[in-house]
Amino acid sequence: MISYLRRGLAQHLRHSRTLLALTVLGVALGVASVVAIQTLNQGSLLAFDGSVRAISGQADLSVTGTLPTLPESLLPVVLGDRDVAGAWPLVRANVAVTGRPDLNLDIIGFDVFAPVRYPLQDVAATGDDAARRDPFASLHQALVQPGWVAITPELAAQEGWRVGDVIRASSGSRAVDLTVGALVDFRRFEPLAPRRLAVMDIAQAQELFGRPGRIQQVDVVLRKGADAADAAARLQAALGPGVRVQTPEQRRQDASALLAAFRLNLTALSLISVFVGVFLVLTAVQASLVRRRREFGLLRSLGATRAQVMGLVLGEAAALGALGVALGIPLGWLAARHNLQAVSATLTSIYVTEGIDRLTLPAPVVALGAAVGMLGALAGAALPAWDLARRDPLRLLSPLSVHEAAGRAAGRLALAAGALAAAGSLWFFTLGREMRLGGFLYGLVMMLALPLLVPLVVRTACGWARPGRFGPALSLRNLQARLQATGFAVAALAITVSMMFGITILVGSFRQTLVTWLDVTIRADVYISSESWQRTGNDAFLDPALLDTLRAWPGVVSLEEQRRLRVLAVDGRPVWLNGLRLTDRPLPGVPQADLAGRLPMMAGEPRAAVAALRAGSVLIGEPLARKARLGVGDTLRLAGPAGAVALPIAGVTYDYTSEGGTAFVAMDVLNARFDAAPPNNAALFLAPGTDVERTVDALKNALAGRPLVIRSNRTLRAEVLAVFDQTFAVTRTLQAMALLIAALGVSVTLLIQAHERAGELALLRALGATRRQVFGLFLGEGAAMGALGLLLGLGGGLGLAALLILVINRTWFGWTIRPAWPGTALAGQALVVLAVAALAAVYPASRARLARPGQLTRDDL
Amino acid sequence: MTDDILQLESVTMTWDAGESGGRTVLDGVDLALARGQAVALVGRSGSGKSTLLHVAAGIAVPTAGRVRLAGHDLSVAGEEARTRLRREHVGLVFQFFHLLPHLSLRENVAVPGWIAGDDGGRTRRRADDLLARVGLGDRAGDAVGRLSGGEMQRVALCRALLRGPALVLADEPTGSLDDRTGREVMDLLLELTRAEGGALLYVTHSPELAARADRTWRLVDGRLLPGAAA
Repeated sequence: MISYLRRGLAQHLRHSRTLLALTVLGVALGVASVVAIQTLNQGSLLAFDGSVRAISGQADLSVTGTLPTLPESLLPVVLGDRDVAGAWPLVRANVAVTGRPDLNLDIIGFDVFAPVRYPLQDVAATGDDAARRDPFASLHQALVQPGWVAITPELAAQEGWRVGDVIRASSGSRAVDLTVGALVDFRRFEPLAPRRLAVMDIAQAQELFGRPGRIQQVDVVLRKGADAADAAARLQAALGPGVRVQTPEQRRQDASALLAAFRLNLTALSLISVFVGVFLVLTAVQASLVRRRREFGLLRSLGATRAQVMGLVLGEAAALGALGVALGIPLGWLAARHNLQAVSATLTSIYVTEGIDRLTLPAPVVALGAAVGMLGALAGAALPAWDLARRDPLRLLSPLSVHEAAGRAAGRLALAAGALAAAGSLWFFTLGREMRLGGFLYGLVMMLALPLLVPLVVRTACGWARPGRFGPALSLRNLQARLQATGFAVAALAITVSMMFGITILVGSFRQTLVTWLDVTIRADVYISSESWQRTGNDAFLDPALLDTLRAWPGVVSLEEQRRLRVLAVDGRPVWLNGLRLTDRPLPGVPQADLAGRLPMMAGEPRAAVAALRAGSVLIGEPLARKARLGVGDTLRLAGPAGAVALPIAGVTYDYTSEGGTAFVAMDVLNARFDAAPPNNAALFLAPGTDVERTVDALKNALAGRPLVIRSNRTLRAEVLAVFDQTFAVTRTLQAMALLIAALGVSVTLLIQAHERAGELALLRALGATRRQVFGLFLGEGAAMGALGLLLGLGGGLGLAALLILVINRTWFGWTIRPAWPGTALAGQALVVLAVAALAAVYPASRARLARPGQLTRDDL
Repeated sequence: MTDDILQLESVTMTWDAGESGGRTVLDGVDLALARGQAVALVGRSGSGKSTLLHVAAGIAVPTAGRVRLAGHDLSVAGEEARTRLRREHVGLVFQFFHLLPHLSLRENVAVPGWIAGDDGGRTRRRADDLLARVGLGDRAGDAVGRLSGGEMQRVALCRALLRGPALVLADEPTGSLDDRTGREVMDLLLELTRAEGGALLYVTHSPELAARADRTWRLVDGRLLPGAAA
């Protein structure tokens, strides 16, 4: 049987090259979308992991603060533990390279005499000639040369930097000069180390970045045989509530949890491509079986068992799957690389400080891609294979009327769709709604129900067609007549369109909601922050002297200071705590400066909320309220440096700055109870009639050379929306891939039709149809499939959008999105779908038009 | 200018070596068919009868010789022109009916009208009228799958005659039917073609049916020989 399979496949390959190539391409695209997304997902985790490993690779435990910094005075306490063999402090700073808005350095300040093998000591092996001759000279230079920093050879090559060069950088409004002291290849001992990693002496780092006596982390090595959990618990107790003692693995898990929603959404979208790909395989395998039914009937007559026949079909599908996997994995890799920048920028804009600066294709992702491709191909082939195997040999040897069978089953399939949808809805609204994955499962059930509706919808819609000429109505009737084949292509299109429309409605609604929110919240005229703030937030401070300059600037009537600090709730949940400097003085003629007017309250009254802020209360953002199940009147408990800080919640605001927790307190509360430091950014309110853009230009000129980002209200809004659009860039790639697979489904279906309907086409040609007319007929069938896919997809898309906006988004991100109807975008996509479906029909149509009127045979029609 | 709707002059058709080993299927065939005339073509299997019909319909182009259909020289016409001439002047009837199973009787009959871009309402009325004339008027909306072989061929006759072609070419129109049904179908074919004023060239193996034509030709080894005149 194996040899028959081999021969059969070879013959099939010879006779149906195009069909098989399209099918393999469809499988490959499905595999590619999964591989691309998983590679990016892994990349996002590995970016964090690489940092952790490169910095704390040898540590058994890491001590970090519930606030971004710790006093270095806790080091002796750590070293005093009986199981601690060694501990060394670290300072971390993310600095912006001046003139390179997209380039940040992740600087680690460390004790060059720490009792661990640190990268700098590797200079001898990897550094320049001078360092190789005298490795200790490097260590000496690290201590004495101001701004001495070791960078990766890769970054040096990328930027054209050499040892001795000075890098102009900044942390907050503080400009710092870094001198390239050595090139150290951190990847020699940590392959995932980020390219932007740089190391320097800890004392220099504290001095340069203005946090003397403060550190970010203490890494701990335990004595051999010590129990890490015991030691962690003991250290936690000794160090108090302001610190966290974790293993590197726990820190990785934290990062993983932070990115969970982002990763899950992308994974779910990529799986839609696989789902669509399964339909493509199903179509192709079914067509192949219809064509070869006599061959299989003969095999059965000659004694082949049902299992053997089924094995043959599945064996061929597995071969197709294998080819698809072989093509899909490199394709996925390319797609991941193509989207690397956008995804990395999204991660650093919204989630973590570590962007993805390299991609690897891990073996588990390759294995997942292979499994998805193979299982998808086998799943697609399973139904037609089973259908073939269950028939008796005589029926296989006689012509099959599978299309009639599909037509007859349309009603039953629609009933099954209804039952599935009803059962899914019942489950979701009674039990599933409370489950975190409930929304996804409900969406999956609905997407499974949708294809079952296709035969009835196609039959009904096409049944209305009354051909009066050789045109679209006849195309529709042809689709109806071949429901078994066309149904799968329409189903694949319907699912794709559902996904496209669902996401487009979500994104359009989200964007509209964001614009409305920006209208309320972004009311100052000029916004000032530092180049490094976007990436780090915490310690990118604005110099107080600078604030005085700004306050005194002509036309400025009010300066609002804001500081953002990453803290932890007592339950370990990260919270971005925003400190607002509240002014008592009302500003005549500048009503927008009134904070109460800029609070988009979800719960609570704005004026009362502002009064409560002054009195030490907190306002929390909607995502935090939803995820922590907090509301007005509850207490937000945050981990302060000296223990839990309980803040009464005075209001809940709509907030789209973070999917995690955001909270607002008065600046005094932030400074007094958490960490006193200058603000991170400032907002200027100008006197009525002041030209905003001119003021921005004047400020930029006056402050040229300072590492500041000065933006007008208009520019800031545009940038926020640009970040928003970039966040969804990868979804557009996934939409395009799914549409391409669905288009391949149309091509494959019509290509099969061109073959199967050779007799009909010959007849039409004999009756006087020109080649152009036959071409048009097929093009019409492609467009009709597109139209039917659109019709079904519109319904599916509306349902999916409702689910995404009202359920999945709220569960996973915690945002209220007001549904909007992005009509222009949807109309554009509808046209694209129709055009793509028609284009997909071009090749089959060009084959169909070659039908010769003289080739009618007895078996035709 | 003659009144002949179809003229074949010294038509030779040789299949190239790839297909039939360079076999000559038609060898210098001369044939003329006047409007209103019915001609039967007989001959053994493989004698070239179907090829001659294909050449007459412009489906195939002869290797040599000239074919004139309604005054147009098919031998020099391009594929598109031959298709349009066939559409305008020829009605085809096949041995195996070749009806489209997903269309109703009326729609099957209407297909040539759709192809030609004729007025939809007029095509429909004409199809209904023809179906009524062959006794299937009350089933015009039925699917063709429920028809008997004789009924299918009657629908095929209606389709061939829909646009009132000057020439009807029928390739063994009764070949798939029993004797009685075959005779009935042949009666209809002759009656309707004559009533519509068209010429009929049909292939048959049956001497009885051949005898009903105005004239019979025999194809022997690719050469057209006169048969018995009616």
